[in-house]
Amino acid sequence: MEEQSRKPIIRLSGITKNFFIGTPNELRVLKGIDLTVYEGEFVAVVGASGSGKSTLMNIIGALDRPTSGEYMLDDVDVIAARDGALSGIRNKKIGFVFQTYNLISKTNAIRNVEMPMLYAGVPRKERNARAEELMELVGMSDRTKHLPEELSGGQKQRVAIARAMANDPAIILADEPTGALDSHTGRLVMDIFHKLHKEQGKTIILITHSPELAEETERLITLKDGEIVGERAGGAR
Amino acid sequence: MMLLYENFRLALFSLKANKMRSLLTMLGIIIGISSVIAIMTVGDSLSGRLTDTMSGMGVNNIQVFLSTRPEFDESGQRLTADMIKYMDRDMIKELCKRFEGEIKAASLSIEVGGAQAKDDNLYANVTVSGESFGSFILNDIKLLDGRYFTEAETASASKVAIVSDKFVDNMFNGKTYDALGQTVHVELENKSYNFTIVGVYEYVDQYAAMGVTAGKNVRTNMYIPIETAVNITHDDRITYFNVMAYPEVDQNELCENIKAFFERKYYSNNEALYVEAFNMSSMLEEVTDLMNKLTLGIAVIAGIALLVGGIGVMNIMLVSITERTREIGTRKALGAPNSSIRMQFIIEAIVICLIGGLIGIILGCALGMTLAKLMQCPVQPSVRGIIISITFSMAIGLFFGYYPANKAAKMDPIEALRYE
Repeated sequence: MEEQSRKPIIRLSGITKNFFIGTPNELRVLKGIDLTVYEGEFVAVVGASGSGKSTLMNIIGALDRPTSGEYMLDDVDVIAARDGALSGIRNKKIGFVFQTYNLISKTNAIRNVEMPMLYAGVPRKERNARAEELMELVGMSDRTKHLPEELSGGQKQRVAIARAMANDPAIILADEPTGALDSHTGRLVMDIFHKLHKEQGKTIILITHSPELAEETERLITLKDGEIVGERAGGAR
Repeated sequence: MMLLYENFRLALFSLKANKMRSLLTMLGIIIGISSVIAIMTVGDSLSGRLTDTMSGMGVNNIQVFLSTRPEFDESGQRLTADMIKYMDRDMIKELCKRFEGEIKAASLSIEVGGAQAKDDNLYANVTVSGESFGSFILNDIKLLDGRYFTEAETASASKVAIVSDKFVDNMFNGKTYDALGQTVHVELENKSYNFTIVGVYEYVDQYAAMGVTAGKNVRTNMYIPIETAVNITHDDRITYFNVMAYPEVDQNELCENIKAFFERKYYSNNEALYVEAFNMSSMLEEVTDLMNKLTLGIAVIAGIALLVGGIGVMNIMLVSITERTREIGTRKALGAPNSSIRMQFIIEAIVICLIGGLIGIILGCALGMTLAKLMQCPVQPSVRGIIISITFSMAIGLFFGYYPANKAAKMDPIEALRYE
């Protein structure tokens, strides 16, 4: 918001999400979220469990549809997109990084990185070159042929970040990426995010429990009971 | 295309990762396919041999034989001597005269018995049989030297004989021209007979193909005129004979005509017996038909094995997608469309079935060819069976893989990612 010249990447307005619709147990998880994320921003979303963080992330990640509201992602109307088109949006516009890495087991690191490009129909040679490049970027070029089970948690997460970058997505959506790591490796992973942000100008949305990590970002959004209750702009570092 | 290749690779990977499980899953398919292939291989080899044998007998040949009437069989009455009316040579002569333009030759054979031809210390084992002239045509007996019997010799029941080259080897050191005109001494029914050799035919060693050469003691046929044989045995009862039709003649029709001829002329008053006529080509059809029915029957059993195998594949695919729920969720988050998830698991099921099918084909061919060899049949793998098997195992994979694959494709990515 500080730089109006910046292009908005995510525009959420009036997003609500209800579960068990039409039953006595109907649950309002998101109660009208308005949020705009600009290109190149590094945003942290914090909130206690049950605050609607995950639901919000699923909606931003085009894994779930809101009950009502509008969502534009990189000039694409996600709400209007048909089910079949959502997979394409996830594939090209979003890079997921999960707390539990979610690498495909029995498939080596580089093939994991290539996977989103496979679904995007990138030719083999190009795919391979891009994957090598990304492995280099996350400092894993010496582990390309390793299977996930042969990698440490931090290494797995670095591979997962490389995978998230594969189709050069508009945003990287990281859900507790350091949650399963010790503080040292967690630090390494965070440094990679900072590097992607600074050097590549990536838009990153980080969902976290940790106030310290959240402090490092330039913008902090606090969720409580399905509403944005606090926002701090212009961060540290 | 790229995804297809990737999916094949993935499927092979996941099979390799669960070797034991994959093998057990394939077992039903392996058993089903290998039994189909084994049966088809044996069937093809067997019918190949049957066709060979029967066409060797001559497809233009019609067998005519005495048979009991079906009504008589049903009545449960015993066949008594006074009911039996045999065919005789005059009937056959009449038949040939009546259907002159259709019957090329009639072959009539009366076996006299086994004997030994002797001359000092030389000997040769023979089976003596009386033959009508038609026998040489029907049985395709070619003379190396000499001639067939003349009509006069047959009519006068002359003591002439046609012997094999093996016989000549034993008695005349293999010189056929020395043998012609020579007299051989044979003891039949406790009486001595002297036959003059008029012709020598080439002995066809039936077992030569199996690597067994006929030794010195091999028993070969010695042919004498039919009238001569009747004179020796005092038995002119005929229960069967063969006729050869001209190639352009409708054999089924001729069969009917032959039956009608005997019925009208000779057997109308006989309540127990009638004359039946069969042609080789219709017998061949019947045998082939029987083989096909047999094959079909076993194919049904194999089909059940394949069905069970297919259900096994479906079961393991369901287990597999449950185990890999997170993987499916991840793939969906990374942008895999439902169609490609479906494709991935269908291909995995097809690959399981295809590998099972290939193992089954190899085992089935090995088993079938061993059996065919044991049965002394020409061994040939059933190409038809292999093609059917490959198609069928892929179809099973597709059919039984579709439901689990579709289940995977329809998974909710959020639930799938949360799955522990």
